[in-house]
Amino acid sequence: MSISPNATLYIALAFYALGTIAALVSLFHSDKRLQRAGLYPMIAGFISHTIWIGTICTITKHPPLTNLPESASFVAWSVFAVELIVLAMYRVQAASFFVYPLVLILLTVTAVVREPFVQIDHSLHGRLFISHVLFATVGVAALLVGVAFTYLAIVQDRSLKSKTRGRLWEWIPSLQVCRKVAYRALASGFTIYTLGIITGVLWSYEKTAGQLMELRIKQIGAVVAWMLFAVVLQSVMTGLQRARRTIVVSACAIIATVVAFLGINHG
Amino acid sequence: MPLILIGLNHRTAPVDVRERLNVPEAKMNECLASMMDIGADGACLISTCNRVEAIVSSPREDVIEGLVNWMASRAMTTRESIEKYLYILRHGDVVKHLFRVASGLDSMVVGEPQIAGQVKSAFMSSHSAQTLDPLLVQLFEQTMRVAKRVRTETGIGEHAVSVPYAAVELAKKIFGDLAGLRVLLLGAGEMSELTAEHLASQNVKQIFVANKTFERAEGLAAKFGGRAVRFERFEEQLVECDIVLASTGAPHYLITAEQVDRVLATRKSRTLFLIDLSVPRNIDPNVATIDGAYLYNIDDLQLVADANRELRHKRAVEAEQIVEREVDGFRKRLVAQDAVPTIVELQQRLEDIRAAELEKCLRKLGPVTAEQRSAIEQLTTQMVNKILHYPILQLKESSEEPQEREFLRRTIRKIFGLR
Repeated sequence: MSISPNATLYIALAFYALGTIAALVSLFHSDKRLQRAGLYPMIAGFISHTIWIGTICTITKHPPLTNLPESASFVAWSVFAVELIVLAMYRVQAASFFVYPLVLILLTVTAVVREPFVQIDHSLHGRLFISHVLFATVGVAALLVGVAFTYLAIVQDRSLKSKTRGRLWEWIPSLQVCRKVAYRALASGFTIYTLGIITGVLWSYEKTAGQLMELRIKQIGAVVAWMLFAVVLQSVMTGLQRARRTIVVSACAIIATVVAFLGINHG
Repeated sequence: MPLILIGLNHRTAPVDVRERLNVPEAKMNECLASMMDIGADGACLISTCNRVEAIVSSPREDVIEGLVNWMASRAMTTRESIEKYLYILRHGDVVKHLFRVASGLDSMVVGEPQIAGQVKSAFMSSHSAQTLDPLLVQLFEQTMRVAKRVRTETGIGEHAVSVPYAAVELAKKIFGDLAGLRVLLLGAGEMSELTAEHLASQNVKQIFVANKTFERAEGLAAKFGGRAVRFERFEEQLVECDIVLASTGAPHYLITAEQVDRVLATRKSRTLFLIDLSVPRNIDPNVATIDGAYLYNIDDLQLVADANRELRHKRAVEAEQIVEREVDGFRKRLVAQDAVPTIVELQQRLEDIRAAELEKCLRKLGPVTAEQRSAIEQLTTQMVNKILHYPILQLKESSEEPQEREFLRRTIRKIFGLR
């Protein structure tokens, strides 16, 4: 069964592009209104994106996670959902210049790759598999937002230490808020992602009748990302005292996550 | 827009003149009543430490004379000696001035936020003294809206321009909300007190004061509901406190890097913000290199304040543009509002003529179909609308000068035979 990307996907993409442009331009114009204005098209895009995901779910009768474009779209959706939760809880929009482009890139991948949406193998239907993909995706989304706030905390710490105001000084919330959001997003993301890995192992055990995990690039990437995110979380918990190491490790964690997602193909 | 403003401010008058003219809250009603007695339709008085301004609505020019005399008598001086300090504004200039004042653009420290509150309280005083006419009510309501818009859109008042407030701003950049934090003051000097006042206004949990003279520490602590501690035992408080403010006359470092290192090790990655306002410095500059400790001395804070001042001046340019647009909008609204009775009368007059002539015409024509009648009605209505278009436009967009507007109104009334 093949479903071509429909209008709601392109509408979402257009709105996300608009929001991303506003967020990036606001960086260079020191205009908070522009940053706030960027949120509205992002929300409009999110609604359209949600409709698109809902449509796919209704047609295929399973979450849109069977291949790379579907997964990229669902990660993008989850990342923006986490950003909205952070905005509602802490009234901070500072990670927009990281989150909005990320969401746009992920959804662009979905639109450009244009792999046909497939009905997953009947044997893959089941609570364990669905839990695995949902936990892994939502966990990664929270971890990515956590990493964004970790970077913000590092930038803020550097500015305060060097007594110079960088371009981001106006946008970044207080150091305490950055650390709190980074810690909470990383801690909750890490927990959910861990559940994703555990359910994945259990599902593999069930599917292969005894084998805990196949050692393919996707699985290796996921486990490496899990370990690296653990290091980032530990660094945030101890007050980000080794900032450079945290930046390198988190960048590696993101690369490992991308590798794991590129290997997705359940069709 | 028959508005007149007479006043003086920190730029035009020395402090001794300003203080003589200053009107305390208790005398406000009496002064407003005197202004009304001069012959104003409405009156309001803004009196702050930097300015005294009387705003009245009146089409009579002799009101200016009366207000200058009233100001001279309040300042207990002659008319000639007060006149040189006064500025007199009329109509649109009054609107622009008031919008600028309330937005903090005419303040000694550009963008200071208190002035908006002071303008509002002047408005409330006049409102309760019932000395406001509809024009002044409209003007002040719009002024408050403009001040709010300027602040929200430009963020002109967001950044600290004094050293103590810059310290508070930095503390907020580190901790976010300061409520629940503990502050240690080392030294009970004037600068310490001023900064502590700003910190206390942020609802910090507790202020500890350590001073060589314990009684002085007790006095300052009592002022902020804090606790005095023995100077030789202040290190014990370092463990508990989040913000440390040093401002003593000691010629050596009171807080060393080793001390801070030791203290931070026991604080589970809690941050410590140290402010050194003393010269010579009381906190070892090496403290700044310790993870989790942020040290700012008086020069650092002065640089922050200077940078903020510059930023405010940049924002002021944007604010001036908003004010210009708002003044134009307000003027147009008032002129249009002023023209409404004449426009209504004009439309009614022409509609009466149209209806009467249409009736005559239809009688002459004899029986016509509904479509034909409707076409004739449409034709006549369109003709009337076209004829009225330019006179109405002129009435709506006429000059803000009351005399010029009145002349235009009379001319149009005469041409169209309105009573």
